[in-house]
Amino acid sequence: MLNAPEGSQTGRTIMAAVVIVAALILQVSVANRLPLPGGVTPDLVLLTVVALALVNGSLTGLVAGFAAGLAADIIPPADHTIGRYALVYCLIGYICGMASDDMDRQSLVPFFAVAAGALVGTVLYAVTGMMLGDPRASWTIVARMVPLQVLYDVIASPFVVWAILRVTRRFERGERPSRDRFSVPAARYRSGSGSRPGVHL
Amino acid sequence: MKDTRRTRMVLGVLLIAALALITIDYRGGDDSPLRGLRGVGSAVFGPVERASASVVRPIGNTFDSITGAPGERRRADRLERENQQLRDQLRAAHLDQDHSAQLQRLLGSAGLGGYKIAAAKVISAGQGFEDTVTIDVGSSSGVRPDMTVMSAEGLVGRVTRVGPTTATVLLATDVTSSVGSRLEDSKEIGIVEGRGRRGLGDGGKTPMRFQLLNANAAMRIGQRLVTLGSQGERPYVPGVPIGTIERIDAPAGGLTRTAYVRPFVKFTSLDVVAVVVAPPKTDPRDSVLPPKPSPSPAPSTSPSTSPSDKPKDKPSGKPSTGG
Repeated sequence: MLNAPEGSQTGRTIMAAVVIVAALILQVSVANRLPLPGGVTPDLVLLTVVALALVNGSLTGLVAGFAAGLAADIIPPADHTIGRYALVYCLIGYICGMASDDMDRQSLVPFFAVAAGALVGTVLYAVTGMMLGDPRASWTIVARMVPLQVLYDVIASPFVVWAILRVTRRFERGERPSRDRFSVPAARYRSGSGSRPGVHL
Repeated sequence: MKDTRRTRMVLGVLLIAALALITIDYRGGDDSPLRGLRGVGSAVFGPVERASASVVRPIGNTFDSITGAPGERRRADRLERENQQLRDQLRAAHLDQDHSAQLQRLLGSAGLGGYKIAAAKVISAGQGFEDTVTIDVGSSSGVRPDMTVMSAEGLVGRVTRVGPTTATVLLATDVTSSVGSRLEDSKEIGIVEGRGRRGLGDGGKTPMRFQLLNANAAMRIGQRLVTLGSQGERPYVPGVPIGTIERIDAPAGGLTRTAYVRPFVKFTSLDVVAVVVAPPKTDPRDSVLPPKPSPSPAPSTSPSTSPSDKPKDKPSGKPSTGG
């Protein structure tokens, strides 16, 4: 169902699903319980969606975003209107997937894409809350939390992106070493990120 | 290779699906048709969260071991692993000790108030703007929605949703939470509302706001609050300590007076909590509050001047202290 034209759907779907579930579990049972200053935590699921979209393109990005968002809406401690994260992550996955096509070998682009994705995602989520009249998303709270959250997201993003690139790479190497897998944007992205100074692949 | 039209179509379909979900769930409110979906969520993810919580119990220590492990392992493989095992055991033992101490104190306060409790551990916390946690007891342990959740220190929140083996707790600091409460040593009542634990106002020291309904009643800094108890003891049972008044807004001629409350419970590091599965037979009044800190309000305990003294004969007929 994911990325049908490329011919390696099932494997990729399973990989994406595993990555998303792992990110969700890490998010709720570890990240959200870290006593970080300001009480805000990085949104690992958002970062995962952004990274998956950057690697695999917009179709995978948006489907993965929708699935991850829906899961984030119903995973136990969630207590907001169902569909909010699904909407936001779906859009973010699509937008970042579009960005992946324009991304050539410039090594800084992924960083900006992730930061922009984090910013847009956090703001969009807050905006949906405001539109629904959610008292938790009142202006005073949003104005205070969103900048901090974006900062944390940006700080956490290299690690998440690195981990996902690594998983994707290992998966592709292990699964089909002979096939020509390097014609997709992922290959360009990977070659770009491999030479990135701060990240050791 | 890129197939934009198809991508756009999928995007459109999924966006409409998301909007439809939002609309249905928002319109439905508490009994929305999508409750079933949440049920599926807790049935599927609940066990996974339980499992992962048992793996990552000491969060900070886990980070240490993750960051420290990989480099060394190659050289002294077996030794290292053995060492790690021993250390884990030690850590687990230490943690168990810590848990048992917490549990002990919890049983102490529950016994004081005559609450019948089901002990639980916090296994995950909410994302975004919501102050919610998941605990590892569910309907199979007799937990139902709208039960009070407390810790050894005081009020934690109330149960909102229950899965088979997990339950979601709305913390008292959440913006949508409001708790009927009573000033210690008096009959003055008011409402404690959450302000979000996320460091709003005063660096998060006072994540709750108390509105005293009687604008003329006396209220002073350092006075403590307990729950008033709801109709039919649901969602809040009476007598659970909430917090201390830290700051009082200057009276502005409104109908109510506002004070800011520092909770007894540390909401950023919740671990062992208890669900009150059966309310006490009589209102415990102030008896669950910890003994007064001696310095400032010391004299106010002894004299029997206050009219509310009569019910303070606390655990006299201490009702069954079920475990």
